[in-house]
Amino acid sequence: MEGEIQLEGLTKRFDDVVAVDAIDLHMPSAEFFTLLGPSGCGKTTTLRMIAGFEQPTSGRIVLDGTDVAQVPPHKRNVNTVFQSYALFPHLDVAANVAFGLKYQGFNKEERQRKVRGILELVRLKGFENRKPSQLSGGQQQRVALARALVLTPRVLLLDEPLGALDARLRKELQVELKAIQHDIGITFVFVTHDQEEALTMSDRVAVMNDGRVEQAASPREVYEEPRTSFVADFLGVSNLLDATAQGDGAACSLSVGDRAFRAEQGATRVRGDVKAMIRPERIELEAHGAGGDNRLPGMIERAVFLGGSHEVHIRVLGGELLKATVPNDGRPPAVVLEEGSPVTVHLPADGLRVLEPSPQPPESTADAADRPVSTAPSM
Amino acid sequence: MSWLRNPWGKPRGLLVVTALYILWSIVPVAIAILFAFNDGRSRTTWQGFSFRWFTGSSGSVVHDPALQGALKHTLLLAVICVGVAVPLGVALALGLQRWRGRGGGTINTVMLLPLVTPEIVMGVALLLLFLRVFPGIGLGTEAQAIGQITFTLSYVVVIVRGRLVSIGREYEEAAADLGAPPHDQLMRVVLPLLAPAIVASAAVAFALSIDDFVVTQYLSGDASTTTVSMLLYSSARGAPTPALNAIATVALLITLATLALAFVVYRRFAGGREATAVAALEV
Repeated sequence: MEGEIQLEGLTKRFDDVVAVDAIDLHMPSAEFFTLLGPSGCGKTTTLRMIAGFEQPTSGRIVLDGTDVAQVPPHKRNVNTVFQSYALFPHLDVAANVAFGLKYQGFNKEERQRKVRGILELVRLKGFENRKPSQLSGGQQQRVALARALVLTPRVLLLDEPLGALDARLRKELQVELKAIQHDIGITFVFVTHDQEEALTMSDRVAVMNDGRVEQAASPREVYEEPRTSFVADFLGVSNLLDATAQGDGAACSLSVGDRAFRAEQGATRVRGDVKAMIRPERIELEAHGAGGDNRLPGMIERAVFLGGSHEVHIRVLGGELLKATVPNDGRPPAVVLEEGSPVTVHLPADGLRVLEPSPQPPESTADAADRPVSTAPSM
Repeated sequence: MSWLRNPWGKPRGLLVVTALYILWSIVPVAIAILFAFNDGRSRTTWQGFSFRWFTGSSGSVVHDPALQGALKHTLLLAVICVGVAVPLGVALALGLQRWRGRGGGTINTVMLLPLVTPEIVMGVALLLLFLRVFPGIGLGTEAQAIGQITFTLSYVVVIVRGRLVSIGREYEEAAADLGAPPHDQLMRVVLPLLAPAIVASAAVAFALSIDDFVVTQYLSGDASTTTVSMLLYSSARGAPTPALNAIATVALLITLATLALAFVVYRRFAGGREATAVAALEV
């Protein structure tokens, strides 16, 4: 299998700014791999280094066993779909798509045949003689895709390719892109800041922050089992609580203020100050006064009807604000979802997760010693 | 002013001032052009319409060797100026855009200096240069061409760089990504995208060369290196005939046609806003 990428200690500095900080990543062959993170996290710089537009300050980019870090972009067997497509405005669709075939030694007849074939794949037959300016955003996006795919790269790099499209078209193209990737079976490296896009399309997601990889795993894993508070926070709404942990391996006793909770998820061996999280959809609201473990009283501060669900903000004893999602399943809710209603909030032990702190830059490892959590084994 | 009190009203006062200004700037030129078609020898008294100063049998643009020579020399200088300044300016603009190290800002400022240097200063400086430092070149056509290239180059660089900045590096990266080596990136992508700016800068260089008086005058050698602008200056106080107006009209038409062509080409390929900017630069 071709198209396997291994990044080893890949670093990029721009003057004094470290854009990508010694990341190690494995992108398996024929997978849909997503680099996810907020703007400025280094995901685009990482992609541009794989493409060859930026020269790494240090580190290796191993493509199918060969380090290509110092190979110029026109000699790399990877192709890019740019955020703004970068279609050549002076060339028509067919000429845009055929642009790179010249360098692969195909004769005119073969080139025409390949252009026809790929335009059919992206459903743009009949658009050969249009100029890019005469196409809609979605069509331009497809030309950009065709122009890169026609060269049968080992890896296709996509830099927020859906960013410029409206929500509806975006959804359509998400499905389409995923289907194309599945059909032709080459590695896709996809950059996005949209967590939903990352979760729906990817086989594997690397969540980046501040030039480093916080977690690289399957979409389900990064969502359900976020390792750090950054990942938990970035992937959807999470409730984060400051707690003191007394981990014993199977479960972790958490003290939040003067209340005790049991957490069964995450870094359950950790001791010391940690962050604990719970997803809004995992919080259960019970009638005021209900007893039991992992429960605490609170007062509804805001309740918003969203159609399929209610979004409820609860101020709990101790002052924290928790967000809960209550499904609108037709059954009468256990509590009146109104501002000012008293409720009992249940944080189920199997939904409460103990998080590791974000990875620290090497410079600050010296003071990591007095942070017990950072020595916790990873899951 | 009514528009000061009423912001929704039409600014009539401003319209009147604008109209007066346009009239003031156009009327003298229009009169000068009009007298190019005068049937008599006077440049002030109208004696009927004719083409005699353009095509007549004596003293006209077509038959006066001095006028002919000046026109030919003007066009020769313009062609040399465009032929050298445009390729050189494009190369400089490309180089400056890729310059990532220190000194980029300084080079930029130096490139822009000729735009703000008083032309008389430049003329005197170049005169000294050719008399003292490079006496081998001497005064004449070569010196005039080099002088014109020196200051038109800045305009070319400014126009081409503006376009380069608005194009960005993405198309080049896309070409590289698709396998094009640097030479092909330039020939297949960058230069075609720069074409409107190149045409526009060529037109500007052409117009600047034709219009130039100070530098060209300082660096001229003998009568054979007289241009239209120099001729107009020297004979305006001698025994002028409407033939002078005629040749000025020809020069004006050439300039206007060139600029119009540049404007149209640029607008066609690069959008209206930049075209206006170029038009403003030219004036």
